[in-house]
Amino acid sequence: MIELTGSLLILTGAVFLFSAGLGLVRMPDAFTRIQAGTKATTLGNILIVVGLAFYHPEWAPKLALVIVFVLMTNPVSSHALSRAAHRIRTPMTPTTVTDALADDQKTGGTGGTA
Amino acid sequence: MSDADPNRETTLAPLRSRGLIGLWAVLFVVWMVANSTVAIVVVLLGAAITLPIAWTFASSGNAWSGIRRTPGGLLHFLLYGATFLVELVKANIAMMRYVYAPRIAIRPGIVKVRTRLTSPIGRLALANTIALTPGSLVMDLKGDTLFIHLLDIDGIGADAMTEAIVTPFERHLEHVFG
Repeated sequence: MIELTGSLLILTGAVFLFSAGLGLVRMPDAFTRIQAGTKATTLGNILIVVGLAFYHPEWAPKLALVIVFVLMTNPVSSHALSRAAHRIRTPMTPTTVTDALADDQKTGGTGGTA
Repeated sequence: MSDADPNRETTLAPLRSRGLIGLWAVLFVVWMVANSTVAIVVVLLGAAITLPIAWTFASSGNAWSGIRRTPGGLLHFLLYGATFLVELVKANIAMMRYVYAPRIAIRPGIVKVRTRLTSPIGRLALANTIALTPGSLVMDLKGDTLFIHLLDIDGIGADAMTEAIVTPFERHLEHVFG
């Protein structure tokens, strides 16, 4: 029963990871692809790691540490990638509505205070 | 060096206020969990290794200061964690709906949002959180302004959408980080 629960969690995680991969292929531009890659891989990884904890309860503390590191590093990498992509003017999909960041850079980057 | 040497106070007090102890404790807990043992050698080695690391980061900036270790702060941190988990699951289901749609009809855009949070680590936590919530991704952070890439700007309109994303987390994070 415990192993079945673990297996189901790992399977669900794998479905999310597959969706992330499919999102990378189907999304129209770099930024929307980063969005698909960030969110689905985070939950997918968490589910797989929790599933592993059902198989090996003695690994649980270390697996919790893995989840914490994934949660902290995944957004940072997506942030760095998207910022770099915007800096080198990677084209955005034609349906894009607004780009406040480009407007801000045009006016001299006075967007922030303090 | 006399006992009344004023330099001792001025070199130690800033480090304490910059969160040296708190950072050291966090690093030490990570070390202990990674080793999964309470052998005395491992404990002493961990304390000896994590102290210089914590010292280096605490003395090179004040990003670690201002975390409130009070019961109220802890409660808000837990509430933030719960809100975050719910939003993470919602984000994934929303993303799956886009990915498996027969035709991906989205209208993305980058919008500007101001945050009430003042501490650097609070802003970092907010930016990381927004990256994992439905259809949003922080692209740049200038002072108190966040530039957020929204996957689908239609529907509610940019202002209402950003309010819905930022405000729930801000409410809890400002009690934890100030």
